[in-house]
Amino acid sequence: MNTQNQNGYMLLFRGNDWTKSLSPEEKQKVTDQWMAWFRQLMDQGKAIAGNPLEPEGKIVSGKNRVVSDGPFAESKEAIGGYFLLDVASFDDALVIARECPGLPYGVQVEVRPVAAECPLASELKHEAQFANA
Amino acid sequence: MLLYRSSGWYNTLSQEELQKLINQNKAWFERLTAQGKAKPGHALERTGVTVSGKNGRFVMDGPFAESKEAIGGYLILDVETIEEAIAIAQSSPGLAYGGSIELRPVAEECPLDVRARELAREEQLVNV
Repeated sequence: MNTQNQNGYMLLFRGNDWTKSLSPEEKQKVTDQWMAWFRQLMDQGKAIAGNPLEPEGKIVSGKNRVVSDGPFAESKEAIGGYFLLDVASFDDALVIARECPGLPYGVQVEVRPVAAECPLASELKHEAQFANA
Repeated sequence: MLLYRSSGWYNTLSQEELQKLINQNKAWFERLTAQGKAKPGHALERTGVTVSGKNGRFVMDGPFAESKEAIGGYLILDVETIEEAIAIAQSSPGLAYGGSIELRPVAEECPLDVRARELAREEQLVNV
């Protein structure tokens, strides 16, 4: 895995079911912590975007472009929101991921390097290289 | 927000097919951008880790590159209705080859906030 990436990193927050067991006070506390965390990262220039997502949406799939409901509102895997980070190394991104206030309650944070170009294009270059070798 | 879920299906395409799809994708994205319907999106590298547990003490490799569920990239749409967003998702050239697109409304505010307010209101009603 590249440890340096000038395109930044994306944090995907997974889990839509973890707030069920919390009291209103606890919920408010985590929300405040999460907002303060995001504002601080924005102020430091380490986060450049971020959004919560509505719990429910649609899935469009396959050749026939079928539309179905999903993801299910309460799921450990569903994505609840994201941050886009402008930090130089994977380690920096990891340090930030570990600060997520939802972690003690079961939230999982996926850390992904943002790609410079579409993976289709890099695949094509790779094939061309292979063909010319 | 459109979340692209894919399993690396494009690895099975020939060079010509791949080039055709790239051109289609580019034209599709440029058209949406010109119409002011798409904000910049990004592809994600097919590597990464997942952090979980208190203080982030568990760090696992993943998602796995070939997983059907893995998110391959995203695009944020600036459209008014979910119907329009669905129509745009359906017109994505890559769908013809497999994979799926998850479509999620971007929330005005954090759903946690909304829920906390609802609970506070319920409590108020009970106390009245």
